[in-house]
Amino acid sequence: MSHTYQVGTPLEEVAVKEVSFEIKNQSFTAIVGHTGSGKSTLLQHLNGLLKPTSGYLTINGHKITPETKNKELGDLRQEVGFVFQFPEAQLFEETVLKDIAFAPKNFGKSEAEALEIAREKAKLVKLPEAVLERSPFELSGGQMRRVAIAGILAMSPKILVLDEPTAGLDPVGRFEMMELFKQLHQKEGLTIILVTHQMNDVANYADHVLVMEEGQLIADTTSKELFSDPSWLKAHHLSLPQTTDFAYQLQQRGISFETLPLTEHELARFLAPKLNQRGKIDG
Amino acid sequence: MNSIIEIKDLSFSYDHEEPKKVLDQVNLTIDQGQWVALIGHNGSGKSTLAKLIDGLLTPTTGTITVAGQTLSEETVWEIRDHIGMVFQNPDNQFIGADVAGDVAFGLENRGVPYEEMHLRVKEALKAVNMEKFAAHEPVRLSGGQKQRVAIAGVLALRPQIVIFDESTSMLDPKGRQEIVALMRRLNKEEGFTVISITHDIDEASLADRIIVLDDGKVIADDAPAKIFSRGNELFKIGLDVPYPERLKHELAHLGVQVPKKYLTEKEMVDWLCQYVLKK
Ligand SMILES: Nc1ncnc2c1ncn2[C@@H]1O[C@H](COP(=O)(O)OP(=O)(O)O)[C@@H](O)[C@H]1O
Ligand SMILES: Nc1ncnc2c1ncn2[C@@H]1O[C@H](COP(=O)(O)OP(=O)(O)O)[C@@H](O)[C@H]1O
Ligand SMILES: [Mg+2]
Ligand SMILES: [Mg+2]
Repeated sequence: MSHTYQVGTPLEEVAVKEVSFEIKNQSFTAIVGHTGSGKSTLLQHLNGLLKPTSGYLTINGHKITPETKNKELGDLRQEVGFVFQFPEAQLFEETVLKDIAFAPKNFGKSEAEALEIAREKAKLVKLPEAVLERSPFELSGGQMRRVAIAGILAMSPKILVLDEPTAGLDPVGRFEMMELFKQLHQKEGLTIILVTHQMNDVANYADHVLVMEEGQLIADTTSKELFSDPSWLKAHHLSLPQTTDFAYQLQQRGISFETLPLTEHELARFLAPKLNQRGKIDG
Repeated sequence: MNSIIEIKDLSFSYDHEEPKKVLDQVNLTIDQGQWVALIGHNGSGKSTLAKLIDGLLTPTTGTITVAGQTLSEETVWEIRDHIGMVFQNPDNQFIGADVAGDVAFGLENRGVPYEEMHLRVKEALKAVNMEKFAAHEPVRLSGGQKQRVAIAGVLALRPQIVIFDESTSMLDPKGRQEIVALMRRLNKEEGFTVISITHDIDEASLADRIIVLDDGKVIADDAPAKIFSRGNELFKIGLDVPYPERLKHELAHLGVQVPKKYLTEKEMVDWLCQYVLKK
C-alpha cells in the first residue's frame, strides 16, 4: 500500500511508499524510524483513519482499499484501539471513571454497564481506586495517559495500536507503561503494535520489528536479527539498545560474542563467569 | 566564582490548605557559568522551582536572589531579563511567518529598535546554527530544528541564565543530540549559566553538577560521578542511572566484585577488557 498526502497540490507528499508486510495475530510489533519516515501515517491506516491512496490492507478480515467507504469499515474502529500521541490531550469528562466509560456508552451500553466496564479497565491499567472520582486533569502525566488507554480498552479491542506511547514520561513512568503493554499482550491476548524511538524497549518487549525510512519499509524482522547487525543500523542512523551498543564496543576490543546481547541481564550473564574466574578483583 | 542564583529557605505550596509542600526548605547557590542538571521523578517540583526562579510564582517563604537582586514585585521584570526559559514542546510557541520573525518576536515586544533587532536575530540564529533557515516557515522544520529556533528566540533576549525544562524529552534521538550539543556549546563557549531539567541521564552526566529533587526536597547535590556512584539510591526513587552503573548492578547480583567508583562507559569497557582478555 501507499499513501500520498494532498494529491495534485504543490504540497503533494508521498508519506508511505509501496509497503507490504504481515502482522501475526497476538504478536508484539514495534515500528521504528526517524521522524518523518511515515510511521504515524502507516499506523493510521490500521483502524481506517486513513485509507491507502493505492494498494490495500486487510485487518482482522476487513479489507480497506482506496475506494472503501467509512460505513463499510463496520466494526473495525472497535476492534482496533488506537492510542494517539499524547492521548491525555483528548480527555474531557469531569471524572476519570466517566472518561473511561464514554466509549462503551457510545457503543450502546447502559450507564451502569459502562461504569462497570470502566472500573474493570481502570484496574487493568493499574489506576489507583482513589483517583477514579477525581478530574483527569489533576493526575500526573503518566496517570492521565493510563486513563486515555483505559478508555480505549473499554471498547474491548483485539488490537492495540499506540503512537509513541512513552514519549515525555519519566523513567519509571516509561517502564510501567511498557510493562502494562506486556501484560495486555501476555495476559489479555491483545495484538500490540507500537511506534517508539526507544531501542531498549524494542529489545525488551517486541518480537517483530518494522523499520521505516523515507516512507519505505526497509526491514521486517525480529529484534534479535535487527540488532545483530550494528553496522547496518549505523548506516541508517538508527541507534542500538544500550546493551548491544556496549557489547559492540567490547567486541571491537576483542571480546567475542556468538550473538550480541540485547539486555544488561544477558550481558552480565555472559561476563560474570569470565570475571569471577579471575578471582579477587581490585577496583 | 560569583554566584548568580541564591535560594534561601525556599518553600512553596500551590494550595495553602494542603499540608505537604511542593518545595520544602530548598537552599541552593548556583555559580555564574555553571551547567547544572536538575533531576527528579515527575511531580518532584522541578518545574515549580524553575518558575519560582523566573518569578512566575511567588515563594510562600524564603528568598531568591538572581544576579545580585532579590526577587520581589519591583525586581521581577528586570530579573526575568536575565533568564531565558525553553520548554518541552516548541510547536505551540511559534509566532510569525518565518523563522527570523519568530526569533524577533520577543525583541519586538520589548521595543528593541529595528537595527539592533536585526543584528540580534542574526546572532542568535548563528548561535544555534540555523542562520540558513531564517526565511523558512517554522512548521516545515524537524523537531530538533524547531527546538533550536525556540532557543534562538530566548538567546536573542541576551539572558545570562538559560533554563531548559525537559526541552529534549519530545525529540527523537537525533534531535536530542542536536540540543544537548548546543547546550554544551552555549555553556562552555558562550559562557551562559545553564540549568537543565531532564530525565535523560546521559544528558545530566555532561553537567558540572547534578541536583536531585525528591518530593520537594533537595536530596543530593554533587558532581555527576559522585551522584552516580550512589546508583541504588537513585533506582529507589525512580531515576535512571548511566548504563555502566546498571551493568555493574547486574554483575554484582551474579557475585562479581565491581568497582565502587563511578565509571564512564569508556572506563567500564577498559575495566572489563582488562580482566576478560587477560590470559
Ligand atoms: N496531514 C498531513 N498532510 C501533509 N503531509 C503530512 C501530513 N502528515 C504527515 N505528513 C508528511 O508525511 C511524512 C511522514 O510523516 P509521519 O507519518 O508523521 O512520520 P513519522 O510518524 O514517522 O514522524 C512527513 O514528511 C510529513 O511531513
Ligand atoms: N498549577 C498547579 N496547580 C496545582 N498544583 C500543581 C500545579 N503545577 C504543579 N502542581 C503540583 O506540584 C507538584 C510539583 O509539580 P512540578 O513542579 O510540575 O513537578 P515536576 O516538574 O518535577 O514534574 C506536583 O504534585 C504537581 O501536581
Ligand atoms: Mg509520528
Ligand atoms: Mg516539569
